[in-house]
Amino acid sequence: MVTTEKTIVAISTAIGSGGISIIRMSGKSSLDIAKSVFTPIKSEQDLEPRKLTLGTFKYKDISDKCMAVYFKAPFSYTGEDIVEFHLHGGITLTNKVYESLVDLGCEPASKGEFSKLAFLNGKMSLDEAEGVIDLINAESESELRAGYDLVQGKLKNEVEKLQDVLTETLAKIEVTLDYPEEDLEEESIEFIRTRLVNCKSKIQDLLSTASLGRAIKEGTKILIYGKTNAGKSSLLNALLNYERAIVTDIQGTTRDVIEETFVYKGYKFILMDTAGIRNTDDIVEKIGIDRSKNSIKSADIVLFVVDSSTNLSEEDYEIMKDIEGKNTIVVINKCDLQTKCELQKIPFDNKVSISTTTGEGIGKLKEELLTFVTNNNINNNSLVITNKRHIESLKSADQNLDTAINNLDAGIDLDLISIDIKASWLNLGDITGNSDNEKIIDEIFSKFCVGK
Amino acid sequence: MINKYDAVVIGSGHAGSEAALALARTGIKTLLLTLNLDSIGFLACNPSIGGTAKGHLVCEIDALGGEMGINADKSTIQRRMLNSSKGYAVQSLRVQADKNLYHRELKKVLENTENLDIRQGEVSDIVVENGKVTTVKTKQGGVYETQVAIICSGVYLQSRIIIGEYSKDVGPNGFANSTDLSDCLTKLGFNLRRFKTGTPVRIDGKSIDYTRLEIQKGEDNIQTFSTLTKEKPANVSDCYLTYTNLDTHSLILNNLDKAPMYNGAIEGTGPRYCPSIESKVVRFADKERHQLFIEPEGLDTNEVYLQGFSTSMPIDLQEDMVRSLKGLENAKIMRDAYAIEYDCIDATTLYPTLESKSISGLYFAGQINGTSGYEEAAAQGLIAGINASLKLRGEEPLILKRSESYIGVLIDDLVTKETFEPYRMMTSRAEYRLTLRQDNADIRLTEYGRKCGLVDNNRYNQFLQYLEEIKTLDTILDKIYSPKEIKDFFEKAGETLSGTSGLSLKDMLRRNKITAEILQENFPDILSQYSIRAIKQWEINLKYEGYLKRQDIQIHQAKKQEEKNLPTDLDYSEIKGLRLEARQKLNDIKPMTLAQASRISGVSPADISVLTVYLKTIQK
Repeated sequence: MVTTEKTIVAISTAIGSGGISIIRMSGKSSLDIAKSVFTPIKSEQDLEPRKLTLGTFKYKDISDKCMAVYFKAPFSYTGEDIVEFHLHGGITLTNKVYESLVDLGCEPASKGEFSKLAFLNGKMSLDEAEGVIDLINAESESELRAGYDLVQGKLKNEVEKLQDVLTETLAKIEVTLDYPEEDLEEESIEFIRTRLVNCKSKIQDLLSTASLGRAIKEGTKILIYGKTNAGKSSLLNALLNYERAIVTDIQGTTRDVIEETFVYKGYKFILMDTAGIRNTDDIVEKIGIDRSKNSIKSADIVLFVVDSSTNLSEEDYEIMKDIEGKNTIVVINKCDLQTKCELQKIPFDNKVSISTTTGEGIGKLKEELLTFVTNNNINNNSLVITNKRHIESLKSADQNLDTAINNLDAGIDLDLISIDIKASWLNLGDITGNSDNEKIIDEIFSKFCVGK
Repeated sequence: MINKYDAVVIGSGHAGSEAALALARTGIKTLLLTLNLDSIGFLACNPSIGGTAKGHLVCEIDALGGEMGINADKSTIQRRMLNSSKGYAVQSLRVQADKNLYHRELKKVLENTENLDIRQGEVSDIVVENGKVTTVKTKQGGVYETQVAIICSGVYLQSRIIIGEYSKDVGPNGFANSTDLSDCLTKLGFNLRRFKTGTPVRIDGKSIDYTRLEIQKGEDNIQTFSTLTKEKPANVSDCYLTYTNLDTHSLILNNLDKAPMYNGAIEGTGPRYCPSIESKVVRFADKERHQLFIEPEGLDTNEVYLQGFSTSMPIDLQEDMVRSLKGLENAKIMRDAYAIEYDCIDATTLYPTLESKSISGLYFAGQINGTSGYEEAAAQGLIAGINASLKLRGEEPLILKRSESYIGVLIDDLVTKETFEPYRMMTSRAEYRLTLRQDNADIRLTEYGRKCGLVDNNRYNQFLQYLEEIKTLDTILDKIYSPKEIKDFFEKAGETLSGTSGLSLKDMLRRNKITAEILQENFPDILSQYSIRAIKQWEINLKYEGYLKRQDIQIHQAKKQEEKNLPTDLDYSEIKGLRLEARQKLNDIKPMTLAQASRISGVSPADISVLTVYLKTIQK
């Protein structure tokens, strides 16, 4: 068991006013220190492992009724002795208890130190550790699931399979080079090529989930776009299910871009409500309209809102030009009124009729958005890459394989090609920690918040 | 009578000879003890030196001031560059050596080396007092006081030869073996293990119908092993190719019960890389034929060696097997093929200097460390000799890195990874093989040899001149030629010329089809005074530039790990993040650096991550 001589302490819950806050100690002396400040209510009781005990925390002028739990090594998160105090929430009390434990000889834990100990003691692998970070930071259910997949080692399995294939091709090259008199070259090249191409396509499959991964992690950006008074802000409010934006009959009410987040069936969406497009002399409104136009680029989906009760206007045609080539859902608003709009002239296939007044069609629109994100073909069980570092490693691995395949086709020497393949292998190893790249290790543990 | 020496080398094969020379040439009073003076530098198996990765080793031995390269060049009767159609890094020189000449020339060199005494005798005891070597004794009664003993016993320790049902406790080729030294080593605390190797038949060349065989000629325009060899040896002999066939295979398969390898008579572990013909036929059952080479044993004999046909079958079967081969239908065997079993040690009990971790002054080199091959043995002998000498002179040891030499790879592997079968060097064992080429062995290692005292003024001055030549070429090769001037040349070379800007000679060397030789031939006015070797260095460095840069980055990254020392008193069983196997292996071997730990088989990169984090934690 790796135990450092020191005992570390950190406030594990978010700082602020809350119901409870948890302070965690890990290390050899944690039990002794706990016993010196914590007295169980029932005096005969002791801190039994894995059992919450009610008692009093008392040190100098601090006193709080709280619960304590002891995890005996090695059966704890870090693998060391751990004691946690579950205190009444509140900044002052939490800080005071924390300070008194430091006073008693605990050292403040650095970022990710608990998890680093857990890693050292074989409680988790590197990619599992990253999964823990993702779990902590998860804001939506799908994000949580992706983090959970990492913790479960799903990515690790996939990546190791790919590494095995590359190892096999490397072995084939080596035997060809070391036994020149056996004349193996010709058969080898076909063998190697097939495997490289295969491996590359699998990496690309994984990479293709990255956009979904990003959507899961960062949310999908939706731009609500249209001429003035088409009902954009009403749509924002309807999707959010509360009155976020000011809605009036006056054209040009919305001046700035409003960003709001909503979660639907576990997926995160970022809505951007914008100033309506029209020709105006109002300086402030003009700036707003420019901002609307600039937002097009960063949007994943454009919701083009048209007013079905009026004819298509000059502005509508201008808008259609602006959003050409973007993923667009045409939202036909005011479907509760009589339709005058020439819908057939709108060159986008995906159309949803809604009424922000009656709420009709809002559910369908949300489903459309979800379909866009999940692209219909990704079921909930398949692995989704959400981590930027993983995406970068996969991209490098892909590039190196690409070089290898091109060089192979160009008749470059096998001993050089093996360098590209080895590089790709190492890129993959960076994901699971199956290559000893120190930088990666440092990077991962620096991402942990203190207390985990 | 007691004789006093500084160092005693036991064994005069390829390891022992290099060790003795390295010691004596650096001023150490040395005794070379050998079972038989007639077996000095004996090529007990192939009459050849070099081959893939082995050629690299010989060039490195030469650069450090060893003898094998020079001696191989002296006795060469045919030379070829293997993998010549592939990249420069994997090209390996292989020569056919005249077996008797090789022995005679090496014996001559040893006999005429100052500070070196040669004596026939069988070592019976190595006396160790207070953990230090003090005396070496022979069975014949010789007593030699010494601070250093280097054991280079090859395959002679308790060796046993097996041919079918016949077996005899002798060394290779009927030479006497060594019996007492094994007991002595056991007594000193070494665990001995049993390895096996073998050799094919020698045939009377007159009885072979060469007209039915494929001839394999030597090549003239290739480098020699030693940079000191001024005149390239002529190709005066040829090799021939033949193949096994289904008849050969059924002869073997129908008689496996007579094969000591399969009926249990042989216990030792044989090399996977150089298997007997019966192993090949059994293991690669779907292969219809195996390639065999007929190699001359020398100019003064009709004996030829049948490479690839090592066996321990009974002799009547050996004859049937040989006669089933095309062109060998009437072949007459002169020496039987045999398998040989012998004792060796676990080299992970040695430091990278090849000195024992438990006994000061006791070194091991060659096949006793579990390797196979003359070149591997010579490389170890040289390093053991150099380090013993450095130690006696109170200087820092020479530990070559994996990133700078095959020798470094070889020794690091031996002392880090347990060997369960005879270890053969291969280019795939070197992770930085692009840098570790035959052509730049001198550039990589001559300075080390100089520092150790093995590179004399003659070799060193020649080396400095060569470096100067390469440096001068830097500006010469920058000369730019207009497209008009080089149009014809490019056409002739089969390269396309595009664009209107001129090209420098360096640009031209980057092209696939333009080699140093072609360039020199076409620009004699400015290049004829420079050696092909020097221009070649530019060619290779320019052609490989991108890949070499990548490899340099890798070497640099790995260097950081090489510099991370692991405490030798660390108890790895306490680090539960390591897998169980890794914990055990790390505790057994106690690596000196994080990098060495990463190379232990059974220690995975994930374990290294754990150690990396652990080191940081304890350093805080």
